[in-house]
Amino acid sequence: MPRTLMKGNEAFGEGAIRAGCRHFFGYPITPQSEVPHYLAKRLPECGGVFLQAESETASINMAYGAAAAGARVLTSSSSPGISLMQEGLSYLVGSELPCVVVNVMRGGPGLGNIAPAQADYYQAVKGGGHGDYRVMVLAPASVQEIIELMETAFELADQYRNPVMVLGDGILGQMMEPVDLDGEGISSIPSKPWAVTGTQGRTTRNIVNSMCIVPEENEAANLRLANKYNKIRQNEQRWEEYLVNDAEVILVAFGTLARVVKAVADRARDEGIRAGVIRPVTLWPFPDQAFEKVIKFAAKRFLVVELNLGQMLEDVRLAVNGRRPVHFYGRPGGVVPTVREVMERLKQTSEVTDGGDRI
Amino acid sequence: MANFPPVRRISIFVGNLGSGKTELAINFALGLAGAGRWVALVDLDVINPYYRTRYVKQRLESLAGLEVVCPAGELLQADVPALSPAIYGVFADVERWGVFDVGGDDVGSTVLGRFRPHLPVGDSAAFFVVNSFRPRTNTVEKVIKMVRDIERAARVSIDYLVNNANLGSETEPAMVAEGHNLVLKAASELGCGIAFAAARQDLATGVQELLPGVPVLPLQRFMLPPWERSEE
Repeated sequence: MPRTLMKGNEAFGEGAIRAGCRHFFGYPITPQSEVPHYLAKRLPECGGVFLQAESETASINMAYGAAAAGARVLTSSSSPGISLMQEGLSYLVGSELPCVVVNVMRGGPGLGNIAPAQADYYQAVKGGGHGDYRVMVLAPASVQEIIELMETAFELADQYRNPVMVLGDGILGQMMEPVDLDGEGISSIPSKPWAVTGTQGRTTRNIVNSMCIVPEENEAANLRLANKYNKIRQNEQRWEEYLVNDAEVILVAFGTLARVVKAVADRARDEGIRAGVIRPVTLWPFPDQAFEKVIKFAAKRFLVVELNLGQMLEDVRLAVNGRRPVHFYGRPGGVVPTVREVMERLKQTSEVTDGGDRI
Repeated sequence: MANFPPVRRISIFVGNLGSGKTELAINFALGLAGAGRWVALVDLDVINPYYRTRYVKQRLESLAGLEVVCPAGELLQADVPALSPAIYGVFADVERWGVFDVGGDDVGSTVLGRFRPHLPVGDSAAFFVVNSFRPRTNTVEKVIKMVRDIERAARVSIDYLVNNANLGSETEPAMVAEGHNLVLKAASELGCGIAFAAARQDLATGVQELLPGVPVLPLQRFMLPPWERSEE
């Protein structure tokens, strides 16, 4: 397909298809309904399965089944629906199953509204389900990047046998941008000798299960996960830098909000303030390495900007570890700040103290 | 707007999700208002809660002669299929010109069906907006299928196709001309006309040079992401 104008939500679907995914189980919810809307038409065209489940709880468990059978499988929802999926995510991790989950975030808590938000950061990166686990989280900022990161998401999921979440907000899901859909995408997926596909002549059966009754065995299973997570922390940190080399103040934002923040950095430079931007692309593993780098350069202070009350802020503070003041500006509930508003906050930041500010 | 093909009192814009109906309907309504008509722009989009006419209601109504008909109060931002009772007034009042911005695809067009008995016979026209750079309308066959699906859901016949070929910020006049060829073929197979082509304001002259004799509606953009909005 030549250059095409796509909605973010359509790109989540097309990106999955290009990554070799042929199975989708989901349930409509604003502002991500165009994901199932698109895939309902598109998946049958390429021999895939689209199934509208009766709920998000059912969707994630259907994804568990498809993943156990070795399929590349996608589910998607928006904030309240993702809350319903948390139990299933924990079981997927416990069973070491690869799966990709898209969350197009809206304003919460509770029913909240349908406006863009980033308030599910904690839930995504700290784990909203039970047990000691991690989910890799990718945060695209453009429609083109959705296409690219969907492929990355499926590859990481298979490589580490762990769910991957792709986290966007309502703006990203609904906006339209030109994308490149060169080539045919992935035609084969890695072999999965552990998958439940029949014994195929073997004398032993594959079993996919998260039950581990003996504490010592469960400890060993947890330590196996820990080992996997350490590898992911070392090898999979991704981020984008913008004008950081000489920047005294580093703005930190993820997803579409990073585009507002880049415009702020440009404006700041016009006014003589040397500003730069770190945009974490992986939210877990959090890109600590980006912060080590800019602290060695010129960074004297940080300003974290989020569509929430200060969630990624904690990870930035852990990465900076008290070496520089880390300020915060957040707009919760579905409100997106203007360039001017972030600019005003930037001018109030101090190099002496961060004041422990949250909002 | 003087040289546009027959403009009826009620103009209905339907099409694929993301075909540009909202921008088109807004600019079409502004054109009518600019020509001195009393215009009601009706937000009939009940499936997509983002990028809707209702979000620029205040701005549009500050321009003379234009009234935006949409749910009132907190329902303005609610994700519910609420329709304003004022819509009936637009059909009934022969002094007013109605421009309807309908939701995308067959699912979004379904809502139009309930208003069919109120459409003034011989004084309404349905426009199907085509952006040939969108994945579901990038071939003649797909356009025809989408037209048929929407006609069935909306219970109206499409009178005109509108060429709104664009690649967002990367649009060039040649792309609009390329899209026009596809729309011409589709229109010929469907047995309907092409009402006009649309292009972003700064491209309209270039497009007109490539499409002599085709009316070109210059588009002022209203639906912008937060980082492209001029300072609020």
